[in-house]
Amino acid sequence: MKMPPFKLHTPNSLDEALEIARNIQSNEEDFDWIAGGTDLLPNYKWHLNSKKNVISLAKIPTLTELSDTHIGAMVRLQDLAESKTTHPVLAKSANSIASIMIRRSGTVGGNICLDTRCYWFNQTEDWRESIDWCHKCDCGTGADCRVIPNQNTLCVATYQADLAPVLMCMEAKVHLISTSGKREMLLNDFFELDGMTRNKLQPGELLTHISIPKEISNWSGDYQKLRQRESWDFPEAGVAVLWKKEGDTLKELRVATTGLESIPGYHEDLSAQLVENWNGKESITALSEQIRRAVKPVQNTWFTPSYRRKMVKVLTKRACKGLLGE
Amino acid sequence: MSEKEKKEMVGYRQQPGKIPFSRPGSGGKSPFSEPRDEEMIPESQGGKKNQPWGGHRHDKLITGRVVGKSTSLVDSKWKVTGRAKYGDDIRLPNELIGKIVRSPHHYARVLSIDLSKALDLPGVISIATGDDAKNKFGVLPVTKDEHAMAVDRVRHIGDLVACVAAEDEGTALEAVRLINVEYEILESIHDMKDGLNDSEKPIHDRGEYHIGEANVQKRVFQEFGNIDSMQENAIASHKNNWFFNGVNHAATEPHAVVADWDPSGRLTLYTPQQVPHYVHRALADVLEIPMHQINVHRTFVGGGFGGKSDPFPHEMCASILARKSGRPVRITFDREEVYWINRGRHPSHIEMNLHADEKGRLCGIETDALIDGGAFASFGHVTTYYNGVLHTAPYEIGAFHYTGARVWTNKPASGAMRGHGAVNSRCAVEVGIDDLSEQLQVDPISFRLANLLPPNSATITGFRVTSIGMRECLERVMEESDWKNKFRKMPLGHGIGIGCGFFISGSGLPIHWDPNKFPHATVHLKIDMDGGVTVHTGAADIGQGSDTVVAQSVAEVLGLPLDMIRIKSRETDTSPVDLGSYSSRVTFMNANAAISAAMKIREDLLNATSEITDSPIEKLVIGDRRIFRKDDPAVGVSYLEALHKAQEERGALVASGAYRTPPMGRAHKGAAAGLAPAYSFSAYVAEVKVDVETGQTKVEKVWAAHDCGKALNPLAVKGQIIGSCHMGMGQVLSEEMRYGRTGNLMNTDLLDYKIPSVHEMPEVTPIIVESNDPEGPFGAKEAGEGPLLPILPAVCNAVYDAIGVRSNELPITPDRLYKNIEKKCRKLKIDDPMDLPSPRLEYSELQEILEKRSQEHSIRDRDRRLKSDIKPYHNGALFGMDPTIPPDEVDESWKVTVIPSEEYLESPRLAGSAWLHTERRKRGE
Repeated sequence: MKMPPFKLHTPNSLDEALEIARNIQSNEEDFDWIAGGTDLLPNYKWHLNSKKNVISLAKIPTLTELSDTHIGAMVRLQDLAESKTTHPVLAKSANSIASIMIRRSGTVGGNICLDTRCYWFNQTEDWRESIDWCHKCDCGTGADCRVIPNQNTLCVATYQADLAPVLMCMEAKVHLISTSGKREMLLNDFFELDGMTRNKLQPGELLTHISIPKEISNWSGDYQKLRQRESWDFPEAGVAVLWKKEGDTLKELRVATTGLESIPGYHEDLSAQLVENWNGKESITALSEQIRRAVKPVQNTWFTPSYRRKMVKVLTKRACKGLLGE
Repeated sequence: MSEKEKKEMVGYRQQPGKIPFSRPGSGGKSPFSEPRDEEMIPESQGGKKNQPWGGHRHDKLITGRVVGKSTSLVDSKWKVTGRAKYGDDIRLPNELIGKIVRSPHHYARVLSIDLSKALDLPGVISIATGDDAKNKFGVLPVTKDEHAMAVDRVRHIGDLVACVAAEDEGTALEAVRLINVEYEILESIHDMKDGLNDSEKPIHDRGEYHIGEANVQKRVFQEFGNIDSMQENAIASHKNNWFFNGVNHAATEPHAVVADWDPSGRLTLYTPQQVPHYVHRALADVLEIPMHQINVHRTFVGGGFGGKSDPFPHEMCASILARKSGRPVRITFDREEVYWINRGRHPSHIEMNLHADEKGRLCGIETDALIDGGAFASFGHVTTYYNGVLHTAPYEIGAFHYTGARVWTNKPASGAMRGHGAVNSRCAVEVGIDDLSEQLQVDPISFRLANLLPPNSATITGFRVTSIGMRECLERVMEESDWKNKFRKMPLGHGIGIGCGFFISGSGLPIHWDPNKFPHATVHLKIDMDGGVTVHTGAADIGQGSDTVVAQSVAEVLGLPLDMIRIKSRETDTSPVDLGSYSSRVTFMNANAAISAAMKIREDLLNATSEITDSPIEKLVIGDRRIFRKDDPAVGVSYLEALHKAQEERGALVASGAYRTPPMGRAHKGAAAGLAPAYSFSAYVAEVKVDVETGQTKVEKVWAAHDCGKALNPLAVKGQIIGSCHMGMGQVLSEEMRYGRTGNLMNTDLLDYKIPSVHEMPEVTPIIVESNDPEGPFGAKEAGEGPLLPILPAVCNAVYDAIGVRSNELPITPDRLYKNIEKKCRKLKIDDPMDLPSPRLEYSELQEILEKRSQEHSIRDRDRRLKSDIKPYHNGALFGMDPTIPPDEVDESWKVTVIPSEEYLESPRLAGSAWLHTERRKRGE
């Protein structure tokens, strides 16, 4: 496995990073940001859309700030999992990512912006040549999607990151920066339904941090994920549920899913209507069934799509267990 | 030196009138000889070691030094300090990097290869194609069907087309991209069932031996015993159609090789190989040079498991490139290439039928195994037999029917992998017995205990079985796992299951050898005046500890500490020929050869001591670096003194020892497959937790009893047992080579090829059973492959015990199991799987009959292993035949057939249908 050669830039500040990015763009070259590298470098080794320039964010101190309401993009996943300021559900999901060695390198920003994955894409160059490439990395051939041939141009590669569903339920905001300024948006609005575009980041723009509403610390919840092995494996399905109770009364409920489509799913409408007529176990069963129907996985990961859908139901039920006060 | 000591020296050899030589010391690090450890000396030699299984021919050689004591492997410090050199660690000056051009097509004709652009690339030194070496090779002489690189055709994605040597890796990769190959795509075969049919362009052409026009590489038919009445005698029958997905060895070290032609025109090939000798032969064939011009240097091997036991095309490529360029060439695989070369376990369709009669006897086993060989033969000829013949024990059976076929498909070649050929069908048999026991309402362990072959018996196909520790294995795991309080008694989702194993300890007839003329293993010893013993052996240490076992054997016989033994096992230039590390032959054969070489040295030392001390040899014993009179230990000499005496007239002592299997087995076609000088036995109990809502299975505990004859190094045996559990658990729960819609292998990396991680690993309790094999070295048999077999069925049976659902496809991934759970729920009209009933057992009357029989057999077995005047015992005695005569000699209805009848061919089973074709030579064309 040999990576194609690239130039590594190591800016010491955000301004410098953006400046480098702008220079590269003005020379009509391309680049990738690199945070922990645990996703990008394996893809580079497989020659998947590698770029001539790579800008490292490792030396920018402002990106590693961490508090209960602010999570820098360069905060390592293990640090997030271990921090006392981290909400327990977020800590649980962070702690379930890959293995401890990868968590010590992988970052929050990298996890949010994780590239989508697919059996027909995450392969070596020789392998992809043998299927005549696919449209996510077509090497100039104009190849079709291999999962669902003859479909439209959307890429159905799967988003398999764990933090997003929990952060979506928290109604966290992502903060982006580029040479044209800063902007922020709800994480729920950040993703774009396409395995290639993935999110709203513009070329030259990067995610600096995530902000979490203060009052979320009063919320409870759970994160449940499905995978073959207890370490390493990417989630084949993941469900985050967060709720707010006043006394015994359920006030609000939020559900989000991951690992099932090319973006994480936030199921606002489904949960909202349930809260009004909350009826304990029955409502949970109904919600689980609705979530199952709402997701549309395809055959491009380890487990079959039908199994993943059935399991979303079980995961939702399990994630809601705390609601029953058992 | 004190005056007193000087005086003592006077009697010893010295230059007259000059400074005396110091008296030879003990020879080891410590100047003092340790007293003999009486706890390690067998009763038969007057020591304190109990021998419940009787004495052994090697008892008199026991000095109590190292055998039977846990010791870390002799090369372990090289590995833990990072100084061990594996394939890719070999760096020769001026080396080139080799890369391989591989086929992107499943099956295609190579029309042309345009090298011009690549040759123009600066830094490219040489390029080779199939035209550079057209001779075929293969591990088995009967099925040589591989080329160094494609000659005419490529047969699977990743098949080799050309290779490049360049100054650096980047240049080599660029050159590979610049080579333009024109293909004509041929229609490929992916489903092994299609391989049974006639094809326009079979993947290989066997000439007059070609079977029909099909892709059948090998077919086997065997019928033994009372076939005609097995079904009518049965009161319970089990039938299951299994599918086993292929698995890969996934050794930590990917294949890597360095080839170097030296100035004298000789080739040295550095390669992490299990079978240097077969590579040696294949290189001579392909390169067309005599074998003495080649030195195969085995590097440290980062895991073999059968995945490095073929001569490989990339080894040929490196040699060809090195010859062309005149410089050393190194080729190291990426993980993906390891999957292209594969040789993993065959994907298999296995139909398993078992029949039990009213007395709870196994009155018939019918097996049909269709196995997917991929694009090349590799070891497949043998695998086809092993899928059947290796389940003719440990149970006594009334009838055995086996049809097997191996077909070529356009996939990476399958081959030998730990438990070669026996693993899948063993799983099917053991799960079948669990099901039969359930139908008969008896405990499955009781069923097994009442149907075991005794020691010193012959199986239905005529294998000679000597020592058997099966009964003890079963009894030990039953006791340690608290089986009686758990089996069929645990709540839903918790289960316990049993599985057994039986495996060869070395193959009786070697692949490339004339058994009448050549030994299977040879060991040379050389001892010069320093006292250290240099051992030359060709046994390939692949991490299993063969260097250690040979060192231990020599150290034990000569009464030396392990650090005085130096193993030289790397180069064919200096090692005697050895057949390699496969079929679990090394401990049995090499340790036996080492012992017989050491016995010669031992005799020399005893003779010398006898001369010095003027004592008869019979009165002398060997202790720690000291030889002395048994009746008066004060009279004796140090090891070095005896050695120097023995060297007086001849210099260094050298000795050669060899091992060859005794003649055995029957005469029918295929009788040699599965023959072994000894067999290992094992029984595992697994305890699992199954999440019925998701189908996730977690193995919590395993009690693993293995009969290895005698644990020469208990630490290594335990390591093999635990490692086998891990590897087998992968196959039963998560590992598979998954082929996608287009026939592509989808998971050629270790993220998607799911080896269990440490989180999945259960607590394993290894239990060593020592049945004291009469022919094994100090009683030892194998422990490398047999321990893998039982974990698969034990887990399958435990899953059934937990939730009452059986699976017939491995691995039992959660999605597959969940599908079966849903099916069961529908059948029982249950909505929530949490409401599934747990299987329960109420004994039938048969239980008592079985328990009584197993008690009787227990006494029978003890007698048969301890008494010397025992009569022969042939499989069939349990069914009322005369045990002392092979049943077919007295009963005409007792079949011994290896050709299917017309009647059978009217409705053959799946693999059996391979017999519908006629070989070309028999078609009169």
